[in-house]
Amino acid sequence: MLLAAEHVKKTYHLGRVSVPVLRDASISVREGEWVTIVGSSGSGKSTLLHLLGGLDRADKESGPVLFAGEDLRKFDARRENRYRNHDVGFVFQFYHLLPELTVLENAMLPALVGLSRWRWYSTRSALRARAAELLATCGLSHRLEHRPAELSGGERQRVAITRALINKPRVLLADEPTGNLDIHTGSGILDLLAERHREGLTTVMVTHDAAVAARAQRQVRIVDGCVV
Amino acid sequence: MYAPLLTNRYLTSRIIPLIAAGAVTLCVALVIVVVSVMTGFLDMVRGSGKTLIGDVVVSRSISGIPYYEEFIRDVEALPQAEAASPIVETFGLMQMPYGTGDGGSQIETVQVWGIDPASLDRVADYHSKLYWTKPSPELAKTLAPDDPRLDPMYQRDAEGLALKTRDGQPGLVLGIEISPFNRRTADGTYRTEGDFGTQDAGHFMPNTSGATLTLVPVSDRGSLGGEKKRRFAIVNELQSGVYQIDAQRVLAPLDVVQEMLRLDKAPIVSPTEVDDNGRPKVIGESPARATTIVIKAKPGVSAIALRDAVEVAYKDFALRVAADPSRKVKVPLRAIVATWEERLADLIGPVEKERELMRTLFSIVYVVCAALVLAIFWAIVQEKTRDIGILRAVGASRKGVLWIFLRYGMMIGVVGSALGVLLAWAIISRINDIHAMLGTPAALWLKILAWSAVAGAVAMTVRGARRASALQTVLWLFGTLGLAGVATALLFHRGFLIWDPSVYYFSRIPSEMDWVTAGTTVIGGIIFSIVGASIPAAHAADTDPVQSLRYE
Repeated sequence: MLLAAEHVKKTYHLGRVSVPVLRDASISVREGEWVTIVGSSGSGKSTLLHLLGGLDRADKESGPVLFAGEDLRKFDARRENRYRNHDVGFVFQFYHLLPELTVLENAMLPALVGLSRWRWYSTRSALRARAAELLATCGLSHRLEHRPAELSGGERQRVAITRALINKPRVLLADEPTGNLDIHTGSGILDLLAERHREGLTTVMVTHDAAVAARAQRQVRIVDGCVV
Repeated sequence: MYAPLLTNRYLTSRIIPLIAAGAVTLCVALVIVVVSVMTGFLDMVRGSGKTLIGDVVVSRSISGIPYYEEFIRDVEALPQAEAASPIVETFGLMQMPYGTGDGGSQIETVQVWGIDPASLDRVADYHSKLYWTKPSPELAKTLAPDDPRLDPMYQRDAEGLALKTRDGQPGLVLGIEISPFNRRTADGTYRTEGDFGTQDAGHFMPNTSGATLTLVPVSDRGSLGGEKKRRFAIVNELQSGVYQIDAQRVLAPLDVVQEMLRLDKAPIVSPTEVDDNGRPKVIGESPARATTIVIKAKPGVSAIALRDAVEVAYKDFALRVAADPSRKVKVPLRAIVATWEERLADLIGPVEKERELMRTLFSIVYVVCAALVLAIFWAIVQEKTRDIGILRAVGASRKGVLWIFLRYGMMIGVVGSALGVLLAWAIISRINDIHAMLGTPAALWLKILAWSAVAGAVAMTVRGARRASALQTVLWLFGTLGLAGVATALLFHRGFLIWDPSVYYFSRIPSEMDWVTAGTTVIGGIIFSIVGASIPAAHAADTDPVQSLRYE
């Protein structure tokens, strides 16, 4: 099992009000598998994805989130940063590109974060080439020096996918990657993800769209914070 | 590696860091300009106050120091001392060569210095303080054509240097502010004007009939001797740069003042014995005395080191004289030995305190600077919350995020401070030109330009209103009001001088950059920018990535 969550719980505390979002959610993902988490809005599917990606921490009494057998709860800050930087790649519904950086720089961002200054100087040419190549496979070779504001929604999402893949992660986590796109553009994005999956990339995707979910090998449904 | 890239992009792609850097620039420039001008002013006071007193002053008022020539030889033999000169200081009355308007002569209370011009010149560049001298070719180029010093008749170098008239009679040098006919002009030079405000050689003091000086000898016990009056020619005038000196001081030959104050060489007679002629028997000689010895230090020797050496030398001198039975007059064992700064403490102290007060008050600007940067950075961090979430989601550490914003603050501090130094330098180096510009009415072309700009701004306001653009209308409306204010000010500006040399005495506003202050202000600007950035930066670093990504 590459990635798993075992009876995880997550409660958000909004002042005096506690909102349990995940009550008892378990999921396991094998290497090379494409799993989709489906559920209605507010069911906790994005929260589960965030826990899997190490972006958020489960409650103390919660079960573990495991990556290749390692318990994420035991990660120190350094290992946690490396996990987010190197082991998983994230694609968000709203792309979340940095507006001041160009397409190429956005695509290289995780690599820049993971490199020291000295390693950057020695590897920058290779890194630029890899980012440009990945963007070219996404049909963005003519957009390398553009800013995100100059791109369409579909183009931005393709940049976000490139960014997620630049460090060759073992798992791609995608949170409603087509949720903000029209059907045609969304379909293109799913094709891109399917192509990466075919190349062996483990993918976990959150969606509330049954048609999108159908593209995955396996679906996990979540209702009121519990995997059913 | 991402931190420098993002810092660079944040700095160059937004207007808000420009505003922050602008705030730092203005704060830094303000502190440097104020403190530099105050430091320059203090230096001018110190430089002027030091006039004619050398580095160290030995003084023994009233009775003076006997055998002072011997003491001066002792002092000049010190490795720390270059030259020394005797002075007799006292107060007196001077009957001026002009009347009070009701038939009487004007009487001034003056501070009289009996000096030896030759030795005082070695100690304190006496010649450079004489006003009516032949200007050097460089100075002559800068003088106004009507400056009297360009006229050989006003050039009294030799008389001033010798304190004598051309026919060898003892003369006086007066402080240039004593005569009411010396009018100080806006450029700090003097004109000798008569009753009708026109140049009048007849009121030039060396051309007058001279002045009568009255001195009163005072004994050791404080009793007054009969007053001594003597008429002198006025041979030159003195400009020290300190109003209090120039309005009161009169220089006269040392031997004449000694004689008038009975501090000259005199026989000592026996109170009981008489000589063959039946007169009191002469049993010795009382030496001439000087109340003050001014001493110049050798190059590289501090005034304090010289003072310490002179103190020892004076003590040795007094003990040597005391041990010599042939000397009928003993040297007082105690005399005041002070550096020039100690001597002028009452003059320099208040200005120094004013400068420090200004420095302290204007240092509050640093806090304003930090608060501005903090407020601006808080806004920047709020704006960048989602970026922070993205960075954390792709593996950036808290330290890395903190470093981006600290670096951002530091860059704003460095750029703002550097621009502040440049701005301050531009203002300080041109402060007198700026002042002169303020002192003259605005040129016609400038007024026309200003009103044309107002007309343009009105047109743009109307254009904004017609296009229903609220932002454009409001911006141009404010622009119109601002430009109209400037144009109106230019229209009614008749010129005003903030720094009036005839009032402030110094002819020019100090225009030397205080580089030490500039250095410390730059460091302060950078530190306070970093301090201002650190709180929002730490807040950014602590932000949970999921919360940041959800931030709207």
